[in-house]
Amino acid sequence: MNTIMNIDPWSFLDDLLGTSSRAFRTMRARAAGRFPPVNVFLDDNAVLIDLELPGRTAKDVELTLEPEAVVIADKPAAEEGKEPARPAWSRRLDLPFRVDSAKANAKFTDGILRIELPKAETTGVKRITIQG
Amino acid sequence: MDNEAFTVPASTFTERPEDYELKIYLPGIGKGDADLRMEGRTLTLKTSAKHQNPAGFRQVAAEFELANYAMSVDLPEMADPATLAAKLENGLMTVTVKKRAETQARKIEIG
Repeated sequence: MNTIMNIDPWSFLDDLLGTSSRAFRTMRARAAGRFPPVNVFLDDNAVLIDLELPGRTAKDVELTLEPEAVVIADKPAAEEGKEPARPAWSRRLDLPFRVDSAKANAKFTDGILRIELPKAETTGVKRITIQG
Repeated sequence: MDNEAFTVPASTFTERPEDYELKIYLPGIGKGDADLRMEGRTLTLKTSAKHQNPAGFRQVAAEFELANYAMSVDLPEMADPATLAAKLENGLMTVTVKKRAETQARKIEIG
């Protein structure tokens, strides 16, 4: 039974107030339950991100790691002979430091996705020896 | 514990031609953490997970709380409690219950 509703009941607000700002859209998407809530934890060596995704598994979510951000998006099921559908939601979280992408890992437990991103050991500053 | 805090989980209830389906969203709850009981027509759910945020970390964003859940729902008259089945997978509980045979629509042959 498909109960997903694609109509945005608040779209009239954009016309009325001229508010198509990101903040407004973000607020409305959250209010409509269209993207999952997150908890973020930090220590000196790593950042942990927990997402509430009951009923989902690894094949339903796509993670992309940028040097200082992580993008989490829903992965629509591929239908044969059709163009890939747009993700229903995506969230980009800025990270407070560069992370070591080789050591990053993510795991689903009972509908909660935990992403663990260790801090990169080098901060990206590199000393260059001048030759000659 | 008497003064333990519970959250009512998000749920959907769907009627289908032959049965009903109740989906209850229980993020963070595994099979051993949920207690489901049927008493008369009332279905009661309680969970008791030992949630803990990671030790030694400080929380910088808090958009959801790992809660213990509780809810109860009265099944419709047409449901047959004896046919109730439940499964919990990936934090999503799916409960199905068939309609009693005598309440189901049937086509009547005209002689």
